[in-house]
Amino acid sequence: MHPVRTIGVLLLVLTASCAGIKAAPPVIVAPTVPPAVAPTADGPSDGTTVAAEPPRSEAKQETGVSMAPPAATRQPPVIGKEAATIEAPAAVPADVPADVPAAHSKIQSDAKAAPPAHTSAKPAAAPIGSEQPSKHEDLAAVAGKAEPPLDMAALKTRLRETRAIGVFTKLALQNQVDDLLKQFRAHYLSGQKTSVAALRQPFDMLILKVLALLQDSDPSLAKTISGSREAIWGILADPVKFNAAS
Amino acid sequence: MNTRVWAAALILPFAALAAGPSMAADDPALLKDLTAVIALLGLPCGQVVSARRQGDNDHLAACKDGNRYRVFVNAEGRVVARKQ
Repeated sequence: MHPVRTIGVLLLVLTASCAGIKAAPPVIVAPTVPPAVAPTADGPSDGTTVAAEPPRSEAKQETGVSMAPPAATRQPPVIGKEAATIEAPAAVPADVPADVPAAHSKIQSDAKAAPPAHTSAKPAAAPIGSEQPSKHEDLAAVAGKAEPPLDMAALKTRLRETRAIGVFTKLALQNQVDDLLKQFRAHYLSGQKTSVAALRQPFDMLILKVLALLQDSDPSLAKTISGSREAIWGILADPVKFNAAS
Repeated sequence: MNTRVWAAALILPFAALAAGPSMAADDPALLKDLTAVIALLGLPCGQVVSARRQGDNDHLAACKDGNRYRVFVNAEGRVVARKQ
């Protein structure tokens, strides 16, 4: 009788423990991975995709399809209130020709144009006598705000230390950054007289990927990167600055 | 002897039960990381719903859409997602 009782207890405990494991809810955090993170390149035929295959800018140019600008206009990776500022140019048709720098500079100029428009509207309500000084002060404040100094080292450190991105993702992003830098290096070493405008698209794509990964979990870092985009491009697009930085 | 058999009968099932969950890494942060990596590599997945650790930096990820990928870091230090 004793063994039978023991077996009964054992089975009961096993059943209870199995039920406990099954009951554990698969808590899945909604992915923040953007639709903007589009396939970068065709993977190998065996179904293996390696992080950061060098984007083939020539191939993309042949097709005439620009992935970054539509992504930028359809789903701005801008965070919080900035989204409203850059959402306005989203009225630009999505299938605008793939002139990346032009489209990008348009967004940037629109974004930069917004604060002065705001400041010009503000003094309109003010008395005429006090208009000039406040205008100057506002413009100075906007100018000081619009051009934050780029601290690449701090940016790198923040990217490395942020918990918004997992280890695998950081490594994959690092691979893609390295590949882009390789492309810039190859461009400068080849001595081509053409501009690096062709590399603007992969650059924008990469920035968008980073922003999409960061915007929910580390919005301040995303904002900083978003604000530093042009400064980073300025370094990459200038051979002297690029060599100094690398 | 009889006591040992009964002890083994009691311990082994629990050991098996304890080993089961440890094989499956259902850490939400890891699932999110694998989801982001697979998307970053441009592969269809949607969302990683479960993952099994196969080794250091080597996971088998199961996607919501049914795809399964082995996500690992290769010898060159690159993150690779291989469809299973």
